[in-house]
Amino acid sequence: MTVQGGGAAQALRFRWASRSLSVLRSALARSSGALVILVVLASLVFLALRLLPGDPAALVLGDQSSEQERAVLRTKLGLDKPLWLQYLYFLRGLFTLDLGGSLAKPGVTAFDEVAQALGPTAELAALAVGLGATMGIIAALLSVGPWLGRRREWVHRGVLAVAATPLLAFAPLATFVLAVRLAVVPLPGDPDAGGAGLLFAAGLLSLPLAAQVARIGRAALLDTAQAKFLDVATAKGAPPWRVWVVHALPVASGPIAVVIAAQLGALLGGAVVLEKLFERPGLGTLMLGAYASRDIPVLEASVVAAGMLFVVAQASAGAVQALIDPRGREA
Amino acid sequence: MKRGNLAVVPALVLCLVCVVGAILSGSEPGRMTLELAWSGPSRERWFGSGEAGVNLFALVTHATLRALLLAVTVSAFGFLFGTLVGAIAGIRGGAAERWSLRVCDLVQSFPTFLLALAVLSAVREPSRVHIGVVFCVSVWAPFARIALAQARTLRDAQFVEAATSLGATRVRVLLRHVVPNLLGPVAVQAGTSAAGVVLGETALGFVGLGPADGVSLGALLEQGTLAMLRAPHVLAVGAFAVAAVSGSLQLASEGLRRMVRAGL
Repeated sequence: MTVQGGGAAQALRFRWASRSLSVLRSALARSSGALVILVVLASLVFLALRLLPGDPAALVLGDQSSEQERAVLRTKLGLDKPLWLQYLYFLRGLFTLDLGGSLAKPGVTAFDEVAQALGPTAELAALAVGLGATMGIIAALLSVGPWLGRRREWVHRGVLAVAATPLLAFAPLATFVLAVRLAVVPLPGDPDAGGAGLLFAAGLLSLPLAAQVARIGRAALLDTAQAKFLDVATAKGAPPWRVWVVHALPVASGPIAVVIAAQLGALLGGAVVLEKLFERPGLGTLMLGAYASRDIPVLEASVVAAGMLFVVAQASAGAVQALIDPRGREA
Repeated sequence: MKRGNLAVVPALVLCLVCVVGAILSGSEPGRMTLELAWSGPSRERWFGSGEAGVNLFALVTHATLRALLLAVTVSAFGFLFGTLVGAIAGIRGGAAERWSLRVCDLVQSFPTFLLALAVLSAVREPSRVHIGVVFCVSVWAPFARIALAQARTLRDAQFVEAATSLGATRVRVLLRHVVPNLLGPVAVQAGTSAAGVVLGETALGFVGLGPADGVSLGALLEQGTLAMLRAPHVLAVGAFAVAAVSGSLQLASEGLRRMVRAGL
């Protein structure tokens, strides 16, 4: 008896060890892929700003600048050195988080600017994804569960309609109607509005995210709806909400988690459009400002930072999937 | 089948309207008439005027037409290149298949928008050619993925085996027997990709990285957002155009999907 028990415990321990090992291995494989993407992106940014026709110094200073001013700037940016040396400096700068000082704001380093801009971007992305995930999961449950009867098809159609509406067209219109005409909400970019503006922007942003979560969630829930263990739960007298929320939802959570993580990445990487759309400060606004003033160090730092957030969120989507569902793990 | 055919209609009507509208409104969509700046819709100008008095009807038809052209060109490239890569990898199997899937993974998880930002910030005057090239970098991956999955099932099909044993060369088997049979499911992706390209181009134009001449849906939308208080009709025209283009393309791809499914 004791021998058997010990054997079972050992087997269990072994299974746990091999499971965590395979999770670790797939996480390593994923993060090496993420690192490759990041280095490629950074290198392309580096090359684009140096190899494409046109003198970067002339781009920064404008056509009216004198040759002397350009030469000074070229020395400051290291553009007078051979390309391979510049690249080595650039790579070192990436790993030590030091790509030089901002050209527009003397005395501030490029990565300081980025660190300052990260806060508002992360705020908006986290709130929007949180709202979107909550609404999406509720909509998915409503569109498969028995509560609405035949009307659950309407939920699904509504979800499809929202998913097909481009945010870029919808958000300015909604801002115009709700904030300008009816004045029921503050303008999202209004610095005095504070939390309310953030909430409005996140609410608008969360609609397409929720639609996406609801679509994927519905498909995943319909997949598990056939499972016998749901019948068992019903037979034991569980009410429908318990059957769907406690028994079905965890099984369907793998694809949902992946979508949510990918959305987080898209919002962080696509901050440029969103922040312009809502006229809010953040990483995207910083990037656009650096682009307008040709502030090369800040542009490099902010693009690499946004790329890193994007890639990390994508990689963690894969890792979450592997953690929840062993079938997705790489052997 | 019938419903699938009908779903393509809005996209075709939209193309037709834009072509006719662009021809009617002349070849200079960016021409300014300063005294008409921000004026509302009138009999001469159905959609009113925008910044510096550009005729919004001319602007929106030209911009939509150019966006559609870009979308068609880019997704045609993705279709050809992706199908070829996917079909070859699927037929050969083994290492070729593994590596092309891995490259697809990398390309698909690449932040294209950031790449576009970097490339376009380095050229003095961004044009649609630059934008198209940047989109081409990543557009082929989903095509290749679908083609690969299809080719893998065709690899062991009896008619492929028959063709090989009759002495057909590898290229002939690929082009005459495999590729025609995987086109349907791959073609469905074209609509999705085209809609994605239109939205991507609009987003770039919206943040000021669009074509330098300002004839793009994104630039129009930006005008509308900035002049929301003064001239709401500009915003309405821009938002409606973007929604119409991306919506009709998505509808068309959904129809194609149904047609392919019914045909199989």
